[in-house]
Amino acid sequence: MFKRLASRALTYGPLSFFLLVSLYPLVWLLFYSFKDNEEIFSTNVFGIPNEWRWENYSNAFGVFDIVAYFKNSLIVSIGTVIFTVILALMFSYAAARMRWRFANASRIYMTSGMFIPMQIILIPLLILVRDMHLQNSYFAVIVPYVAFQLSFATIIFYAFFRSLPYEIEESAAIDGASIYTTFFRIMVPLVKPAIASVSIFVFLFAWNEFLVALIMISDNALKTLPLGLLYFQTQFGSDWGAMGAVMVISTIPTILVYLLFSEQIEKALTVSSAVKG
Amino acid sequence: MNSKRSYNIALLVFTLPTLLFFTVIVVYPILQTFQKSFFDWDGLSTPSFIGFDNYVRLLDDDDFWVSLKNGLIFALVLVVYQIGLGTLLAIALSTKSLRGRKFFRTSYFVPVVLSGVVVSQLWIAIYNADGGLINSLFHLFGIQYEQAWLSGEHTSIWAIAFSGAWHHLGIQLVLIYTAIKSIPEQLYEAATIDGAPFWKMHWKITIPLLSETYKFCLVIAITGGLNAFQNMFVMTNGGPGNISYTLTFMMYKAAFRSGEYGYGSAAAAVLVLECLIFTILINKFIAREKISY
Repeated sequence: MFKRLASRALTYGPLSFFLLVSLYPLVWLLFYSFKDNEEIFSTNVFGIPNEWRWENYSNAFGVFDIVAYFKNSLIVSIGTVIFTVILALMFSYAAARMRWRFANASRIYMTSGMFIPMQIILIPLLILVRDMHLQNSYFAVIVPYVAFQLSFATIIFYAFFRSLPYEIEESAAIDGASIYTTFFRIMVPLVKPAIASVSIFVFLFAWNEFLVALIMISDNALKTLPLGLLYFQTQFGSDWGAMGAVMVISTIPTILVYLLFSEQIEKALTVSSAVKG
Repeated sequence: MNSKRSYNIALLVFTLPTLLFFTVIVVYPILQTFQKSFFDWDGLSTPSFIGFDNYVRLLDDDDFWVSLKNGLIFALVLVVYQIGLGTLLAIALSTKSLRGRKFFRTSYFVPVVLSGVVVSQLWIAIYNADGGLINSLFHLFGIQYEQAWLSGEHTSIWAIAFSGAWHHLGIQLVLIYTAIKSIPEQLYEAATIDGAPFWKMHWKITIPLLSETYKFCLVIAITGGLNAFQNMFVMTNGGPGNISYTLTFMMYKAAFRSGEYGYGSAAAAVLVLECLIFTILINKFIAREKISY
């Protein structure tokens, strides 16, 4: 009996402690977004606000053009998802299901991007984007985002296409369907779960990405949320409550996306880890 | 004959856009980075070839050595917290009789979906020397201890690295947990019959069987640490002085603040080589045989 209790405590104890470490900072953030500086740092550091100061939120909306940043982040994220999914689907299909000499070599070539950090190409990329006159358009960030997410998306789609039985295409060919019909009408619908996983993952990536956006976007009208947050910090950094409010607002969408789609996200992660490092 | 041709055309339609796009946006710029690291170049005028001068200058630059050290510290913190602790938590999570498994797993993962800027700004408040969460915790337990975490010479990089480790613990946890789940039950049954104690059983069975997963986890943790940038950019701006510099920060500063694109490229090139060396070492020393059940 005692032994069982002890082993329970040994499992639940550490699990709960680190649960607190993972979540409490976020709860603390939520609380302090309703406090003023005095409460945050001296009179009431840990607990729920003594007085819920909604004005932090209205102040934040007043000085921080959150709607514009939201819109920019949404356009960039959705654009990145669409282009990544289309390009990676077509390529993975050819690599997994069509017969050609360089199928395997080109797949390995594409997946090598998984291990290339984005910052390494920033300098030439900036020049490239400048030469293509893409700066001050959403494409200045969408283009590099897509290029870097292609590797991840290819790995996932390739694994899914490989797992489908070959009879599908054979019977489609007997029915006289062209390659394009087979691809769009039969194969793409079959990998819908993979498309969902990849879309969510790529969306979160684009929504949160910072460094490339920092270098590529200078026009305030095109700035995404992370850049907006940074701008807010430099302008109003001493008003911690309002700062907290802005952080909470910009975080809510991603937490919602995660809670709705946590299974797909985990699945995508584990499939991608099967690639050889 | 005709169908053979249309098959080849289809092949081109499916593969060429992706391959071309990837080559132009990712592969070609990598080569450019290496090439430009041998030039003196301000990003606008014609680059002039200077051989290894940029690299020689790096070796002479105090910032470079601090950056190198900080990258390694960052990687170390990620490995210990995300993979070390991640393994312990994953083993505890895979205990058969555990209740609320899904709740635990979901909660550990939540910080992952936050943007790095939010995480950094949150930890600025947590580390605040004057009444921040951590210093307040010490006071709560009656310990008269205070620390200016982010500006202290010996704490800064560790504090920044910990916020990064905290941010992405969930990713490694999911990877390790899923790998543990795929280990066949019989292996543990045999050990239980032999009366092996819990932790010994996992030390002898689970950990060795995870080597393939560890390889991947180590590559992302170590390269992630070496590449760190955003955390220090938001939290300390590399300072005070240069104490929280990393190679990416050096590259950023050289290229985008001082307009020394050649020198920045050299820092980026060193970073690639460093990541490459670690990836090769990890692959060489872990899991030489392939495991199959």
